[in-house]
Amino acid sequence: MDRAAFLARIRAEMGRATGLPASRPTGRPARPREQLDVLRREMAERWPESLAGFKREFERVGGVLHRVADARDVAPTIVAIARERGMQRAVAWHADALGVDVAPALTAHGLPTTAATDAEVDPRERERRRAVAAAADLGVTGADLAVAETGTLVVVSGAGRPRSASLLPTCHVAVFDREALVESLVQVGLVLEAWHDGSPPPWRGASINFITGPSRTADIELTLTRGVHGPREVHAVFVERGLSSRRA
Amino acid sequence: MSEPSLDTPFRERAGRALRDSFLQEALSIATTKFIDLRREAFAGFPGGDALRDRAREIKEATLQRLDHHLERLIDNVEARGGHVHYAATADEARRIVLDVARRAGARMAVKSKSMATEEIHLNEALAAAGVTPVETDLGEYIIQLAHERPSHIIAPAIHKTKGQVAELFTRELGREAEPDPEVLTRIARAELREKFLQADLGITGANFGVAETGTIVLVTNEGNGRMVTSLPRVHVAVMGVEKVIPSMTDLAVFLAILAKSATGQKLSVYTSLVDGPRRGGELEGPEEFHLVLLDNGRVGQLAGPLREALACLRCGACLNVCPVYRQIGGHAYGHTYPGPIGILLTAMLNGSESVRELAHASSLCGACADACPVRIDIPRMLIELRRDVSERRIAPWTERAVFGLLGWLLQRPPLYRAAARIGRVLQRPFVRGAVIRRVPLFLGEWTRTRDLPPIAARTFQERWADLEREGRR
Repeated sequence: MDRAAFLARIRAEMGRATGLPASRPTGRPARPREQLDVLRREMAERWPESLAGFKREFERVGGVLHRVADARDVAPTIVAIARERGMQRAVAWHADALGVDVAPALTAHGLPTTAATDAEVDPRERERRRAVAAAADLGVTGADLAVAETGTLVVVSGAGRPRSASLLPTCHVAVFDREALVESLVQVGLVLEAWHDGSPPPWRGASINFITGPSRTADIELTLTRGVHGPREVHAVFVERGLSSRRA
Repeated sequence: MSEPSLDTPFRERAGRALRDSFLQEALSIATTKFIDLRREAFAGFPGGDALRDRAREIKEATLQRLDHHLERLIDNVEARGGHVHYAATADEARRIVLDVARRAGARMAVKSKSMATEEIHLNEALAAAGVTPVETDLGEYIIQLAHERPSHIIAPAIHKTKGQVAELFTRELGREAEPDPEVLTRIARAELREKFLQADLGITGANFGVAETGTIVLVTNEGNGRMVTSLPRVHVAVMGVEKVIPSMTDLAVFLAILAKSATGQKLSVYTSLVDGPRRGGELEGPEEFHLVLLDNGRVGQLAGPLREALACLRCGACLNVCPVYRQIGGHAYGHTYPGPIGILLTAMLNGSESVRELAHASSLCGACADACPVRIDIPRMLIELRRDVSERRIAPWTERAVFGLLGWLLQRPPLYRAAARIGRVLQRPFVRGAVIRRVPLFLGEWTRTRDLPPIAARTFQERWADLEREGRR
């Protein structure tokens, strides 16, 4: 069936409906980008409360939060996570996307790490790089939002921000700072409106993922089991003095 | 396509479920757990009730301008480089997906859990066309290996023990497996990881389609939704037209109640927003993105008696609280969608003819309406379905005859009173203690699983008449 016929049938049926309850649609933000700026200023003042809320919920869903003072401390924290678990290889987002260049430091400390390119590469090279991610034990990404209400990390894909880094390795480590903190899902709604307002920045990818703890299933006798397809462990590293990240 | 389990009448299917002691225990544990988790989730969330009202109002407002929102969705998906297809029937939807698969040269398709593709029986069609469908949700994977159908909307394999799953993996995958969920999950992870990386085609449903941004939203706990939408070269999403919502602001409302209702989580582990095909600089993402808009009986209810059911989020909360579902489980219903909402959806997809038995598989207790995150009045529509089944004379003739006679009697008080007096005499051989345990002939069906109270020695009307006489004295 084609579009016109499909919609015509819908209109015809809609026309036959009678006695429908009055119902108003949701009011959408008129200027989402400006409103997001206002929200960010508000959040900047309340970040310690947001971080405490995020920590509580993130731990409730099985995440582990690490707090470091400076961007320089990120790599040692990740190395410690990898060592404890005998992990051999890592992949990471591009330094510009992450806001800190971790790959050289991780590699120097005995965790060979492949950083993502932010250039367009041909299909064969993409496949090769995906295989590298699939063979890695640990994936380092940024987090564009950290949501206090739910303990959720929101991750936007794009150039230098491969989706596989938070999906294929058994351990995912997300690095973030106070700018990513928001309080509620309602605020996330506003952020999503702003991100989709106007044309996207050239680096923006086609996938936004909310990650709330490690991959899990209860499909066999309702026994909670972690790491069924995605990571078995999720860590978040909060950098107090901030990252030099470009924001989604 | 015919549903094999429909060859036996509902009563027999239900009877079989009632005699299955493992199923009884599994159902009881699972549904009780889901009920508790849901209750806790909403107890710690004071704004929950107001959000449920808001969510329902959004659904209603969206249906009232469905054409507009679908047009926005279509335009925005196409603006992002996606392709939109239109399926009036299950058959059209299957043909569209097969066509996409053929042009992609696909030999294997990985699927994330989707009731819409179950509804159109896509797997059989893919297999017949030489494309191997692989279900990747662990529960769906298990029942696919076992050649069964889901028994619960969100926990498709709750009817299986870990021992049965271990045997199944040993037999079908040739891997010796202990009956330990942890071990079994690891085996499935390894098996399916290979498939994700090899498959040419990824097939999903859609929990929401956001009109103003052209975004398809998928909610999963395992991460298979992310795999299926990121790794294969082509992604097809099959979405019922009623799944469209206007904006991201609305999405935030639905996300706040969906997982709480389904599993008691504040959010499911993964909520994936798909904004079309891969963009420049991305390492992953499909080269092609297709959205199939599915009618299959939905549009006909925009002005129909089942309109309210178009608000359903497929969370499964009404199954868990339903005293009938809790006893018989999903398979006994015999259709894609089980439970109270399943009866309505089955009638929507296949016509009220198809639920002439199922329309009665409810005690009308109203627990489903209480649990529904968008407050669908399921009992009201079940009663309407029963009326429809009765008016269209598709109920069994014995039932129609008995109720016809009763209706006729009730309208004639003198005859009714006479019948009561006669009944009092006729019932004598059947009264045991204070109840009738068995009545003769076809009426025996009534007392097969329940007792009948006998006609009282003095009826209410007789006593009332006496009291009135006394009062006058």
